[in-house]
Amino acid sequence: MDVSEAVASRRSIRAFLDKPVDQAVLRRVLEKAQNAPSGGNTQPWNAVMLTGEPLQKLIELVAETIPLGLAAYSAEYPIYPAELEGRYAASRFGVGEAMYAALEIPREDKAQRMEVFRNNFRAFGAPVLMLVHTPRYMGLPQWSDIGMWFQTVMLLLREEGLDSCGQEAWAVYQKQIREVVDIPEDHIFFSGCAIGWGDRDAAVNQFPVPRVGIDEAVTWVGF
Amino acid sequence: MTKASTVTDAMLTRRSIRAFSDTPVPLETIRQVLDTARWAPSGCNFQPWEGAVLTGAPLRELQDKMRAAPMQDPKEYSWSDPEVLPECLARLHQVGADMYAALQVDRGDKEGRADFVGRNLVSFDAPAVLLVYFPRVMGPPQWSDVGMWLQSIMLLLREAGLDSCPQEFLSLHAKLIKDYLGVSDESHIFFCGIAIGCGIADDPVNQFDRKREPLDSKVQFLGFE
Repeated sequence: MDVSEAVASRRSIRAFLDKPVDQAVLRRVLEKAQNAPSGGNTQPWNAVMLTGEPLQKLIELVAETIPLGLAAYSAEYPIYPAELEGRYAASRFGVGEAMYAALEIPREDKAQRMEVFRNNFRAFGAPVLMLVHTPRYMGLPQWSDIGMWFQTVMLLLREEGLDSCGQEAWAVYQKQIREVVDIPEDHIFFSGCAIGWGDRDAAVNQFPVPRVGIDEAVTWVGF
Repeated sequence: MTKASTVTDAMLTRRSIRAFSDTPVPLETIRQVLDTARWAPSGCNFQPWEGAVLTGAPLRELQDKMRAAPMQDPKEYSWSDPEVLPECLARLHQVGADMYAALQVDRGDKEGRADFVGRNLVSFDAPAVLLVYFPRVMGPPQWSDVGMWLQSIMLLLREAGLDSCPQEFLSLHAKLIKDYLGVSDESHIFFCGIAIGCGIADDPVNQFDRKREPLDSKVQFLGFE
């Protein structure tokens, strides 16, 4: 698959088929992704790939925690900036609203919306969950490096015919994650990433997720 | 360099290029790359990236200004935190040592090293440079989003037969750059440049071996048969 097709066909997939992913495929993807760039060659990314029983155990543990509500959240970094303006403020809830509209769940139906949100913590039925962590001493540019690696992984997955969904949502249950997998205490937990074969026909995988126009984000000088 | 026909090909042929030929880059090509890169993901679909692409006389004018100015103090942001840690410092030194060895610049050759640092300021003669900035309110996960966008761009450039070099180095002149572009220093942080052009394939500085950690020291597999 060429890069353009991989970038354009990658979308956050929120319904996966019940079909396992071969470890050899994941190793191949991650081996190649090691070539991602990083400032000073720091290579700040670390990951745990979960499937089968340990993944089930995590899903069950988090399911027991969800009823405790916000009190049980333990994210180690702010997932959203406190103050947003302009187009950034506008996009805060845009994807959610587009998704619920595609699923025909009105705002009043809080229970149904909550049920959909909880799918995050089943990794949307994906057979594999990647858990990304990094040493706490890493600064902001190293977070960008992690993003470069992360997107590389998602694009290489597309090349293997696989789909993914970056899930920062898991960060709110990092305590439960640490009960199931061994993430060093001096590492910060960043994000989950559901990996599997997307059910591309599902409505939740088809609603449009708009992007700002190229000239809104980029200025051209001297051409 | 030849065009990368697959993601794998793009991944394996992308490297930080530190010597560019003077072949100009068509606007249409970069527009196409940045147009596709808009589909990079971001939490909440923030798309927190902003940038300016410079070429020709305005780029040279900016570079002249940077060469004439002292480096910014205090720095725009610290890119050296991990340097305090032995493991990171070792990797940083290794890249430096491999690069200078390729350039045949000796450890003691301060002038040779300073020369090369100066080449950063002209983005290694790349004909185009993408300058990247975004609102200061963005936190760690949004920095990761920006990284996803940048890597999408670098891989798409490989598909277009172009090369690149990400340059956090340019943040040493962050305020000057923002001033030149008319970007608010109060609201926006300058992150990095991306040098864009055609790499000189047989230049030794584009050929030294880059080291990566073995996969099993970075990734754990649990529950697989």
